[in-house]
Amino acid sequence: MQVELQAHIAFHLTGRMPQGDGDALARSDLQPALLAGYRDLTALRYDFPLVLAAGADKQPVQSLSALFDGALKGIAANGDGERIRKHAGRLEREIRKLIAEGTTGTLSKLCDLATVRIGAKNDESLQKSLDRLRAALKIDGEVIDCDKAMPFRLFQHAWQGLQDQKALKFRAQINTLILKLSDILSADFGHSKEGMSAERLQASIGAAHRDTFDFAAMSRMLTAASVNVPMAESRRQRVRGLLATLRTQRFFPPAIESDKWIGVAEPYSFAFDTCSEAVAAYRERLPKMTELAKAMAIAKLETDGEYSEARHDAFFAQFGDNGLDADDIAAFPDYLVCLRAADFRAAESDLILRAFVSGMPAKLVVLTDDLLEQSPIRDDYLIAGLRSRQLAGTAIGFGASYVLQASASNLFQLREQVLSGLAYRGPALFSVFSGANASHLPAYLAAAAATESRAFPSFTYDPSAGPDWASRFSLSANSQADLDWPSQRLDYEDEEQQRVSETVAFTLVDFAATDPRCAKYFAKVPRAKWTADLLPVSEFLTRERKDLADKVPCLLMVDRDNRLQKVIVNDTLVREARRCVEAWRSLQEFGGIHNSHAARLLEQERKVWAEQAQAAAAAVSQQTSAAAVASPAAVAVPAAVVAAPAAAEAAPEKSPDEPYIETARCTSCNECTQINDKMFGYDANKQAFILNPDAGTYRQLVEAAENCQISIIHPGKPRNPNEPGLDELIKRAEPFL
Amino acid sequence: MTIHATECLLRLHDQHHELEDYQSGVPRWCTGCGDNAILAAVQRLCRDEKLRPEKTMFVSGIGCSSRFPHYMKTYGFHGIHGRALPVAEGIKMARPDLDVFVNTGDGDCCSIGAAHWIHAIRYNMNMTVMLHDNQIYGLTKKQASPTSPRGLKSNTTPRGAYLEGLNPLTVTLGVQNVSFVAQAVDWIPEVLYDIMRAAYHHNGLSFVRILQRCPEWLPDMFEPFMHDPMKTKLLTHEKGLQLSANLSKVYKNQEQHDPSDIHRAREIASGHDPIPVGILYHNPEVPVYEELRHAGQQRSAGYIKTNFEAELDKFTVWPPKADSKVQPSA
Repeated sequence: MQVELQAHIAFHLTGRMPQGDGDALARSDLQPALLAGYRDLTALRYDFPLVLAAGADKQPVQSLSALFDGALKGIAANGDGERIRKHAGRLEREIRKLIAEGTTGTLSKLCDLATVRIGAKNDESLQKSLDRLRAALKIDGEVIDCDKAMPFRLFQHAWQGLQDQKALKFRAQINTLILKLSDILSADFGHSKEGMSAERLQASIGAAHRDTFDFAAMSRMLTAASVNVPMAESRRQRVRGLLATLRTQRFFPPAIESDKWIGVAEPYSFAFDTCSEAVAAYRERLPKMTELAKAMAIAKLETDGEYSEARHDAFFAQFGDNGLDADDIAAFPDYLVCLRAADFRAAESDLILRAFVSGMPAKLVVLTDDLLEQSPIRDDYLIAGLRSRQLAGTAIGFGASYVLQASASNLFQLREQVLSGLAYRGPALFSVFSGANASHLPAYLAAAAATESRAFPSFTYDPSAGPDWASRFSLSANSQADLDWPSQRLDYEDEEQQRVSETVAFTLVDFAATDPRCAKYFAKVPRAKWTADLLPVSEFLTRERKDLADKVPCLLMVDRDNRLQKVIVNDTLVREARRCVEAWRSLQEFGGIHNSHAARLLEQERKVWAEQAQAAAAAVSQQTSAAAVASPAAVAVPAAVVAAPAAAEAAPEKSPDEPYIETARCTSCNECTQINDKMFGYDANKQAFILNPDAGTYRQLVEAAENCQISIIHPGKPRNPNEPGLDELIKRAEPFL
Repeated sequence: MTIHATECLLRLHDQHHELEDYQSGVPRWCTGCGDNAILAAVQRLCRDEKLRPEKTMFVSGIGCSSRFPHYMKTYGFHGIHGRALPVAEGIKMARPDLDVFVNTGDGDCCSIGAAHWIHAIRYNMNMTVMLHDNQIYGLTKKQASPTSPRGLKSNTTPRGAYLEGLNPLTVTLGVQNVSFVAQAVDWIPEVLYDIMRAAYHHNGLSFVRILQRCPEWLPDMFEPFMHDPMKTKLLTHEKGLQLSANLSKVYKNQEQHDPSDIHRAREIASGHDPIPVGILYHNPEVPVYEELRHAGQQRSAGYIKTNFEAELDKFTVWPPKADSKVQPSA
């Protein structure tokens, strides 16, 4: 075995490099080769920064670049389009720079700043283009970049938008109920003695004509003539109680018209930093919530005039004892809890999971800043995203909560899922990796690398999407979800300036390579010592162990000068990568990719099918040999069997002797019932039939048949042979038989 | 948003009404009159759809047809000649929660009320309009109406009507925003009921022209159609009417017509013989005026007073120093 290889294997297994055989890794120099193109993010156009659009009717999370593109589509269609496009590009780049420097603010403020910085003042055409662009940008709101604070801001903004929509609906409903209930009381008062008193009558007429009327006489007459029964005292009390409950509710800000109400306390807040606070608030407010839901249900009945004490009192006495209905809860605000995984204690997690089970409408955002943790048991063990994996796994296990896991970089791409999770009726867990840890990469890249390397895969579990895993669980936000590791093409130039194209996988080891704490697990190999024994990590992981005896896993990285380097990897990371791919494969199975159950079933079915096909082939060959002997007539048999039953069904014919009416065709015109309403009657649909053929004469039957506009009465044969004039009547009846 | 518990309660205590519960008094229409068939079909509809009488409204103008609200034990408004539709629109605007039906005749709707008819179609408010078309003024004893056919002898046209009759179907189908047009005949009650039910379920203005016999003044008008089933063409479609087996046996003249096809609907509407019966046009996508205008918003007494005063103030002339006299002294 060569000396170099021995040294490399030694490092791979022990983490120590024999002196002089390799360079210790100068960390910040190197980056995974696939990230080479993303050194300067401000020069690139991508999803971030985001604009948190204000206004209920707008998509709450928008991308700056998409906003600019949208605005340009409208205005840059004419001859000067190219100029506007260029100027808009300058403005956008400048905004990106401002954001990267740490400037915060709304889109309009940043546009102002950037306009000044690119010197629009001294350039009339630039100013003109920007003016038109600004006019076309219909959306404003806070601009945020992908940093440590971004995920919370995004969730808070989206959540607030949904709560505002809820409040709008809820308040409109409460307002209507309050007005209608007040109307009930004022109508009652108007009919009461006090309501018809002379003073009140006088007050209701303007000053100009006050002297014309005698209000005392008017009051006397009205009171004497009134037949109105006053409202029952119990109802009056109930309506007053409902009004008080509706007016003093604190779940939403009071309705606009009722702002003046006295003694209304501040509305509750629903955003929390810890689970325990949220759960305590929920517990405390639950009775109030039940009371309000009950008041609204009663008020609705009351305003519809449907409330009956006999029927409803008992029901409402027990209202909410078994918890509120999901629809009722959904109308109330959701509890938003934003917390960092590092602050997340075991007791808290236990609490929140119990709250989840009890159906608390909580939206929990757990933000992980650091994915690579030391194992609590062994120092040389690394565990990728243990806590988030644990939490998401448990939450999915409950089955009834919405779970979304994604890196901060993917949140924009998953904005629809974020919104539907926040709008989900029930608890929802959002596990997010911010990427803003000690890594020397920008947060956006670190977060994206975590998803790409399967260290923090994206997935959603949406119980409202359907009854089974196939419709609920989705891995579609991951790139190349059907592979163990996603791979990309890497183009570079070799020593002879020739273009080389290579497909490179992005593995957990690549992700670890971006973290300075993992530097000790890597060693740079000088170009002279690059041998065929250096195997890319992705390949190393797929090979059988027995073939790996003389191989060393390596990574392709680039240094500051964009030169390609090879780096060998310590076994610790390789082990972790194996674990990571195991976890990824079980996620794949949940998501229906390479599902082992399905594969097994398919194999079984295939086998059965193959056997059947074989049997059928055997039967056919037997038959053909048999057919050669017997006559071919047997084939025709099935057709004859099918033909038989069709004729059977026929409507039961009415006897021509019995009188009858084709009731379904009756137009309810009263012709027959006016002749004899004992003989002819109407059914439940008000259509005529023979009620009693003996309740009248045959003459009446024949006359009814003649009078019937649509000739549906059939008089039959006379029932009484002694009726006078029968011969003539039978003749007249003939056309109707 | 609905409060779920309430919905449950309402369902728990659902009141069932019999057809007679919607019947109020004995109709004063002549024996044999087609209006009876329409009344029976509508009462059946109310029963089957469990319409609450206190939430149901029948509005009419003037004429035989317009006596309809008197015979329904629901709320009703027997309006003035030609103005059934504006009254109904006002009701719908203030109380969109009510089920509003309009009964109008060929004179009421197509003559004096023609302008209201055109604009009601355009406004497309959610209500069911029944045009009782007997092609004659019956209540005033036989004068020609706009839909009377050419040559019809009546008290006002003793030498026969000079003009072609107006076709309410083609007129309606020509108006912007039309959303539901159907034709029924009173002497096929099963189809009349089916059409009325489809019309009731349509969200928007459903215009149903019902050809209706007047046994008193025009006893022979529809005679040929009643005795030859081939002279009635039934329009069927999976999105329109589906006929029962018995009916299909009698009325063999049928056409598959897709109610979303307005061009074919206009073609069919122009035919007189055979009479087309069925749903000619149905487009549930047309915007409904009261929804566009967010009708039925609750207004507090204070709000009404302020706006009412503001409205009156527009017409008030304020002489100098008049304030103290007019304003109530505190």
